[in-house]
Amino acid sequence: MVDVSVVVIVYNDEKRLPTAVQSVLNQALRSVEAVIVDDHSSDGSFAVAQRFAERYPDRVRAFRLPSNSGGCGQPRNYGIERAAGRYVMFLDSDDELDRNACRAMVRAIETTGADFVSGLCVRVHTTPRGRKEKPWYRWIYRQTRVLDSLTDDPDPLVWDTLATNKCYRRSFLLNHRLRFPTGIAYEDFLFTARAWLAARRVALIPNTVYYWHVSDSPERRSITQRRDEIGNLADRLAMHREIDALLAERGLDTVHLAKSVKFLKHDLVLHLRDLPLRTEEYRRSFLDLVGPYVAHLPTEAYHQLRPLQAICAYLVAQGDGDALLPAADALINPHKTAVPLAEREGRIYWSTRHLNDPLGRELLDVTDLGYHLKPLHKLAPRTVVTGQRVDGRWLRLSGRVTNPLGRIPTPTSSRVRGRLELTARRAGWRVFRFPLRQLVHRGDHLTWAADLDLGRVFHPIGIVDHVWDLRLVMDIDGTRVRSRLTVVHPDLDTAPLPVQPLLPGLGADQVVAEVSAKGHLALRVVPSTAVQHRARTALVAAAGTPAGRRSRALLATARRVPRLLASEQNKRWLYHTVLCRLPRHRGLAVFESHLGQRYSDSPRAIYEELRRRDLPMTAVWSYAHTPDGFPRDAVLVRRWSLRYLVALARAEYWIDNQGFPSGLRKPAHTTYLQTWHGSALKRMGFDEPEVQLRSRAARDRLRADLGRFDAFCVRSHHDMETLIPAFRLNPAVALPVGYPRNDALVRQRQQEERTGRRTYPRIGAAPHLPDHRRILLYAPTFRGRPRRRTAVRPLFDLAAFAREFGDQYVLLVRSHYLERLVVPPSAAEAVIDVSAEHDTTPLLAAADALITDYSSVMFDYVLLDRPMIYYVPDYDDYVHHARGTYFSLAEVAPGPLAFTEEELFAALRELDTADTEYVKARRAFAERFAAYDTGTAARAIVDRFFLQEGRR
Amino acid sequence: MNSAPERRRDLFLVANSVNELGGVTSWTHRMARLFTDRGHRVHVVGVAPPNVVQEVGETPYPTTTLHATRPPSLRPPRRLRDRLNVGARLRRARWEATRRAHAAVLSDLLQTAAPGGVVIVTQVWAMEWVAMADTAGLHVVGMTHESFEESRRTSRFARVQRYYRDVDCLLALTREDADRWINQGLNNLDVMPNPLPWYPEEPSPRTGRVVASIGRFDEQKRVDLLLETWAKVAPRFPEWTLRIYGSGAEEQELRDYCSHLGLDDSVQWMGTTSDVPGALREASVFVQSSRGEGFPLVLLEAMACAVPCVAFDCAPGVREIVTDGVDGLLAPPGDTHALADRLAQILADQELRDRLGDQARRSVTRYAPEKIVRRWEELFDFLDR
Repeated sequence: MVDVSVVVIVYNDEKRLPTAVQSVLNQALRSVEAVIVDDHSSDGSFAVAQRFAERYPDRVRAFRLPSNSGGCGQPRNYGIERAAGRYVMFLDSDDELDRNACRAMVRAIETTGADFVSGLCVRVHTTPRGRKEKPWYRWIYRQTRVLDSLTDDPDPLVWDTLATNKCYRRSFLLNHRLRFPTGIAYEDFLFTARAWLAARRVALIPNTVYYWHVSDSPERRSITQRRDEIGNLADRLAMHREIDALLAERGLDTVHLAKSVKFLKHDLVLHLRDLPLRTEEYRRSFLDLVGPYVAHLPTEAYHQLRPLQAICAYLVAQGDGDALLPAADALINPHKTAVPLAEREGRIYWSTRHLNDPLGRELLDVTDLGYHLKPLHKLAPRTVVTGQRVDGRWLRLSGRVTNPLGRIPTPTSSRVRGRLELTARRAGWRVFRFPLRQLVHRGDHLTWAADLDLGRVFHPIGIVDHVWDLRLVMDIDGTRVRSRLTVVHPDLDTAPLPVQPLLPGLGADQVVAEVSAKGHLALRVVPSTAVQHRARTALVAAAGTPAGRRSRALLATARRVPRLLASEQNKRWLYHTVLCRLPRHRGLAVFESHLGQRYSDSPRAIYEELRRRDLPMTAVWSYAHTPDGFPRDAVLVRRWSLRYLVALARAEYWIDNQGFPSGLRKPAHTTYLQTWHGSALKRMGFDEPEVQLRSRAARDRLRADLGRFDAFCVRSHHDMETLIPAFRLNPAVALPVGYPRNDALVRQRQQEERTGRRTYPRIGAAPHLPDHRRILLYAPTFRGRPRRRTAVRPLFDLAAFAREFGDQYVLLVRSHYLERLVVPPSAAEAVIDVSAEHDTTPLLAAADALITDYSSVMFDYVLLDRPMIYYVPDYDDYVHHARGTYFSLAEVAPGPLAFTEEELFAALRELDTADTEYVKARRAFAERFAAYDTGTAARAIVDRFFLQEGRR
Repeated sequence: MNSAPERRRDLFLVANSVNELGGVTSWTHRMARLFTDRGHRVHVVGVAPPNVVQEVGETPYPTTTLHATRPPSLRPPRRLRDRLNVGARLRRARWEATRRAHAAVLSDLLQTAAPGGVVIVTQVWAMEWVAMADTAGLHVVGMTHESFEESRRTSRFARVQRYYRDVDCLLALTREDADRWINQGLNNLDVMPNPLPWYPEEPSPRTGRVVASIGRFDEQKRVDLLLETWAKVAPRFPEWTLRIYGSGAEEQELRDYCSHLGLDDSVQWMGTTSDVPGALREASVFVQSSRGEGFPLVLLEAMACAVPCVAFDCAPGVREIVTDGVDGLLAPPGDTHALADRLAQILADQELRDRLGDQARRSVTRYAPEKIVRRWEELFDFLDR
């Protein structure tokens, strides 16, 4: 018996059929036959098939349906009937099998005993610029798996609905009478769903088995790629309804839920992307068709979507076509603010409609997306084109700009100006600017109009800059707000408009309006004469030749040269070979805190002590991004800049709390004072498995970096036992004086105890404090870099906090500088984001109580002897599964551990009454972790390092 | 179990050399003997003479070495300067010519095979010669005797992808490694574990208060982490001794580190041993602190002796051999605190040692040589289809 029968179906595809059939004949597994079924083509497809059958009589058989069926179902069913192999696969005439496909699939099906096996399909995009391969749902196929039950993992069934990347036992297809539905598109959906439901066992393999050739040109799109036909949509929905019925029959609710989520995330979004470019009539029928289907999906599905997907799905279900368009626009262009938004009871909503519906109110609540906190220059308000007309050499445009939450002020209070800008999508260094004829503020939107004298003003090169993008740029009191022009009507005026290219004669000299893939207005420069056409094709051809590719690569390298020269590696070289030979600059101290991110911490305390005592020295502070907030009386240099490196090479002192750039040798004349930035709960340095697993060279580099320290501040015996060995430091470098940054805390406590009066330092972000409320500081530890565009959710509900404690407490939240916090408007009174403050110490000093988790601020705050609460919802995870801790926080914590929001709020309610029981624990904690912090660290350090005469 | 194979085949095992010191040579000759015992006609081919010789003794099958001398390693020309270097180009051309000549010798050898013959290429360097030779009518099976991760750190990573791309089958040691190679773009992978080197009649009585570690001292084995781990355990178990078998360039450095950690009383440096079963029989626990592994035979050996293993879960091969909590204990790689925890747990608990050790001796029988040979024969039969 033949091992595998590959059913190859073809309709009017004589050109590509041979490649498909050849991919079957080339299989590494020899025992494979091709069963070609021609769906009554009108071209020579069948003749091609017959020629193969004649040449390979044992391996190829050719059949022809008596009449055209119009789909893939009938020919495939026909092929199943005629297949002779133990296993069956399907191949379309425009696609290919990988050489090892059959071997890998048969091996998997036989070793696992599965009814069918599914492998990775790769979509191949062939464009004039080359071939691009994109794996289709790779995440499903990362590893070899055997699934015995759909409920274990419904994802493969739900997401990978292709019938072609699979290999079925023929007996399985026959026993379960599995056939493709006919006369309908998307037949794969139903077929694979039925196969999944019938199978006892399915194997998944990561091997690439199927190459799906995707044609990007509109004429050659295959049936399912034509999403613009409403009939297609009806077919798709019919398939989904049938599958839903099958799942309901079997009571597979979890699978149905997963499938609904997939429909809303994937299928619906595919159609929504096209929606702005469709006619009014299409949009109406779209909503009529899809709305009722979506309305019947389980509402839990919405909660597994991203916010904008959920909004779109909800608006589709509600049949709200007007609101849907901007929502779909925001889905495609997530940086945009697409609607005016509305504030209700301290929350931000997508629209004012549907808020009486509890589900609508929940889904349309976009407070957490942080639109209300977006800086003006990142607002990108949606701008739609309301009029567009070609008039001789003029392009006349008008449009309207959304004014979200009234962020664009009225002209009476500020200066709002606008213009249009035209830039080339590629090769774009030139900008053409056009003034607006009119810009009118109308409350929740602005309208504008402009006449672009393209014929006179616009001069494209005409051969490399084919596409030009238009933007509206508004200047609001000096802040620039940019937005692209969204097209919402499919009937664009595409009359050619003559322009004057820079290359007269050769360059194309007409522009035509078009819509970009993301729905924005663009201008395409098109050739009008044969000479211009030839010039363009010649250039494209030349760019494709080896010489052309080489020169393009050369150009790309040339552009990179400045960056290559300024690489850190080159800077290190410069530092070591040149700068280090410069003479010592007596009294020069380079200060840095948190890699230049802040002007803060112990380096700042030492710096201020030096200034206070007015000692002769030159202070240099390094900053990472901006010098804002750094002291004016110091020399400010950007980290890694030439001046920075010169300063490091010549300095007498390096003072920092984290680490000067790795790999920079410390000059012989320099003393490196490492203050460090916190005692350790988590394992550090060489106690981290990740560090231990590094290569020997990397470990040696780290050891060398740490070996630069001449003095290392420690605060207790705990530091001596943890940080010193973890950093492989010689105990002799330990400087047992405590942290200079904590001097202020110790002094404040002493002063308050002496005077009996609480004092509050001024906080830049909250100058009105203190008021009648008590101040809480929430300083959680950094939990890893957040993903792009996702705001960090606070670990507890700030709005709920504000409701209950708003008149009692004000909460200062300090998150890591890489994290972004969204405070809902309703909590704006009670919660203040102090993450941008440079220094933590004044915040600690001001706070009447601290909420933290694993952050090292606990070791500092304890010096103030005020209440502390540990909010640790992820305690087990953090302590046991991450890199581990030096001691058990639960055992020694000088404050209650709250594992849930309720426990946290309960702890806040009894903050004072419960605190008495922790007073002793706090003393012990301070004794264990902060014994050396006596308020004299900065003075001791200055005395020791800066006062000695005749040093070295 | 011992039924004759369906088909007696001509098998060529092609390695870098016939008798280079190392695990691959041991594996090659072990498999060659097993195949010979099954009635296959085996021929072991080495590309070049070894750097360091491993004694392989009389073999019941022929062996051939292609090059009389060790070929120079020549970097392909990359920069303009390399291209202009006439001397280097000449040397290279001469070298290519001898290579082709020797590949021709290999072709002649391979063409003596009857239909159904198989070329098993144990190392990717050897594959460069097989790729040049005429393998028409033969199945070519490539092997990578290390984990994907370990391979990725070396130049072999690129060469595996280049030279093994079109072989009939590339064998990884574990499914996990195979899947990673597939994700990397190779599509012809299959899995074949190594056979158990031996299975002693007498297991370890597990009476000695000895923790054993066997392996050469190099960057991959990370004996320094073992010492750090032991430093955390030893104070709690003064009656226990850590015996470290092996040698290597880092030995003095490691001994110094051992003294620095104050472990001189509880650590014994045993040097290399030729009697691994004997060494294991004196131990009650085996410990391994490698950063990376392929398919660590020494774990199989310890388990065959009923000595439970405590190891870093550093590679798919380790997870494949040891099931955490069932026939050994695993710790997250690099985490010496966790490894020390596991070690302390097993040292404190005789019952646990017995349970894990007895189960280990049972579970390694899945790598019994006859089972592995059978898997090979099934693979050959599959490639015929």
